Amino acid sequence: MSVVRQIARDEARYWRRSQLAVAASVLFLLLAVVTLVVTALRISHETTLRAHHQAEAEAAFLAQPDRHPHRMIHYGHFVFRTPPPLARFDPGIDAVTGSALFLEGHRQNSASFAEAGASAYLGGLSWLTPALVYQLFAPLLLIILGHGALAREREGRTLQALASLGITPGQLVLGKGLALGAALGLALIPLVLTVALGVGAGEAFAPALGMIGAYALYLGLWAGVALLFSSVLAERGAVLVALTALWLALTLLLPSLAVNNTERLVPIEGKTEGDLALLSELRKLGDGHNAADPAFAKLKQDLLDQYNVDSVEALPVNFRGIVASKAEADLTETMNRFAEARMRQEAAQNSLLARHGWLSPLLALAEASRALAGTDLANHHRFLREAEALRFDFVQRLNGVHAEGLSYLDDVRRSSDPEAEARTRVSGENWQVLQAFRFEPQAPAARLEAAGESLLILLVWCLGLMLALKRFAGRLAP
Amino acid sequence: MSLLRELRREGRLLARDRALGVWVLLTLVLAGAAVLSGLQEVAAQRASLSHMAELDRIDREDAQRKHPDWGSTAYYSFHLTYDAPSNFAFAALGLRDQEPWKHRIRMLALEGQIHERDAGNPVLALTGRFDFAFFAAFVLPLVLIGVLHDLQAQERRAGRHALLMATATGPGRPWRTRALLRGGAVLGAALLPLLAGGVVEGTGLPVLLTASAFVLLYGLFWGVLAYALAARNTASAVILAMLLGLWATFSVVVPASLKAGIDAAVPLPEGADILLTQREAVNDAWDLPKAVTMDAFLARHPEWAPYGEVTTPFAWKWFFAFQQVGDQTAEPLSLAYRAGREARDELAATLVWLAPPARLERALEALASTDLRAHFAYKDRVRAFHGQLRAFYYPLLFKDEPYDPEVLAALPAF
Repeated sequence: MSVVRQIARDEARYWRRSQLAVAASVLFLLLAVVTLVVTALRISHETTLRAHHQAEAEAAFLAQPDRHPHRMIHYGHFVFRTPPPLARFDPGIDAVTGSALFLEGHRQNSASFAEAGASAYLGGLSWLTPALVYQLFAPLLLIILGHGALAREREGRTLQALASLGITPGQLVLGKGLALGAALGLALIPLVLTVALGVGAGEAFAPALGMIGAYALYLGLWAGVALLFSSVLAERGAVLVALTALWLALTLLLPSLAVNNTERLVPIEGKTEGDLALLSELRKLGDGHNAADPAFAKLKQDLLDQYNVDSVEALPVNFRGIVASKAEADLTETMNRFAEARMRQEAAQNSLLARHGWLSPLLALAEASRALAGTDLANHHRFLREAEALRFDFVQRLNGVHAEGLSYLDDVRRSSDPEAEARTRVSGENWQVLQAFRFEPQAPAARLEAAGESLLILLVWCLGLMLALKRFAGRLAP
Repeated sequence: MSLLRELRREGRLLARDRALGVWVLLTLVLAGAAVLSGLQEVAAQRASLSHMAELDRIDREDAQRKHPDWGSTAYYSFHLTYDAPSNFAFAALGLRDQEPWKHRIRMLALEGQIHERDAGNPVLALTGRFDFAFFAAFVLPLVLIGVLHDLQAQERRAGRHALLMATATGPGRPWRTRALLRGGAVLGAALLPLLAGGVVEGTGLPVLLTASAFVLLYGLFWGVLAYALAARNTASAVILAMLLGLWATFSVVVPASLKAGIDAAVPLPEGADILLTQREAVNDAWDLPKAVTMDAFLARHPEWAPYGEVTTPFAWKWFFAFQQVGDQTAEPLSLAYRAGREARDELAATLVWLAPPARLERALEALASTDLRAHFAYKDRVRAFHGQLRAFYYPLLFKDEPYDPEVLAALPAF
């Protein structure tokens, strides 16, 4: 064991003397720290801002004066998705999805104003986040540190000398691996600190540890690749070229090719197109603004029978409110069916993309990282569903006020008779039906489960590389 | 040695260079894949648009049948607006993945509609598509680095360096030719699929030539960098690592810093504030005296003053007037938001010269009309169209013309 440690210590000493290794390490750490600080500041600013907007929106709703309850349904409400604590490490899709959503009657709007849209546009790789620094550049660091580990001994013809000292190829690989592992541990320090900050801000331990584990696996995998190439290829230069080509393929080419492939295999229609299909479906339902719509004839007859009266005017409830409530319920059911179908398609695309992780581990890591941080597609969908539940809840409660709080005759005449109009205004206290909204990501266990398959992919990659290393280490015999 | 003989000799060497052959083939395949998927995406967008145009017409005609009065017709008629992909969009899809390029607009306050985001799957947008612009900006330099970084170190290792230098007519002579031929082969392989895609799409020759010139210039930039570093008497591994560092700096570090810097330097009003302001203005109108709304409206439209009095608690002309007043109230914020984005983009256009990969992307996206300018031009067209809708309906609403479905034939079309 002490032989292995000695080899590792020698490797570290070699790095400290190599300008290339020192420069690469310093640059990486600098990049990681700067990006972490910038992102943490941006996310905490966004969190405060959105929480502030949320509070304002709620206060504005509650402060509305007395008016017709249906007016409040169109006045609507705003909800904001606040970023979870680990977003400061991996903001995930936060920047490319809108964070504000307008809730109103009869419609499901899309989240508007994504940060990506407002930012200066500087090309495809300019959204640098700490997560991306680790996904793209940490492997490069390990390649630069590790490419020569074994090829150097072969080039310098020191393998024979080492063998004569009784050092087996296995010990040699283990020692070099230990050194790379230590370097990897050092490279992870900024990540660990950020994740710890996240825990301080209220994140649970399990996803935080999962995050560290996922990146350790991913970087371990790259260390393994570097050692493998270094032990198989003869020249250091050739090792570096091969590793660079592999890095190019796995972190740059395959992920974006996988996007094209995913779109080809699971095509998806845009929201506008989906809305059009939805509208042709909705045409079969009644218009809730028009109580005379034939679609409500049965509802009307049922009500008349139930209260044993002859006309809607004689009903003890406001028929218009009943119609509005029924129409909203039918409409929402159809809208939800479309929204769920669309989310299912998006989720199918997402899991197909993550499964491309068998080819490019970056895709598996990126998905695991977003899932653990609570900034993945599933959490955005959770936001959309919670917002929809809130929308339906306050709209229906207001429809309830509409049915029970004002008279049908006044309601019918309000467009032409100012006095009737005044009587249809109900007290502003009714606006208390609005529930407070604060977006929380999925529970830690659910997030770990969501990351499970991607973590498994990374684990299999690591095991495969260890087996390959074991198999090829023998070639190091002089 | 004459230039011609040198070229012939280097050409022969090139043809026998297996590694170079692999790089060139790889370039051809990747550029081909990028162009092909761009063509497919553009075709899918066009198909989706023509499908939507049909559904949109059916839906509007249905709404108009169901609501035979001017106010309700205006309220319930949606109109599809869109920005069809240009004939060079296949090469650089740019902002089309990020920004909406289709809306359905109606006569209500526009500020509540135009910011809707019908964007695709955010995870795919985040990971990024493999189009020609991405290939050329980020992958092509790495290929050039791959074929050029050990130009001289390779010969040093083989022990031929001194001999080659001794027989050369000038310093750097054999290397320059060799670098030009190698780089040229890679760039040619990259441009071939682009030109083929241009022929398929019927892209104009000036656009194709400008795009090719940009790619060649960009290739020259990386070629010169790689060539200069390759001349150093260091191990090829060190040269390669240095070039990788430069690639990372130009591709990621510089653009990311510029983006953060520009965003910090040019503040933008909160997008949510535009929506909130517009919504408050529209909703307040219900409780304000009608004259307050109508006065604000008539300040913009004095021509309707003779018809501007509203006597009933509800009238469509008043309803649409306060929709417009909602837009008017949010206008300063909306203009400031737009001006801020334009100011950020102008700064980015100037500073992007510090990040050549992003410069190339922006150049190709400008040629493809998939950049911010094209996006704003689309939004301007939407605003102009919405203005036409208002101009169409206002006379009917204010003069209280009798409903006549024949008149709808003259409804403005996008």
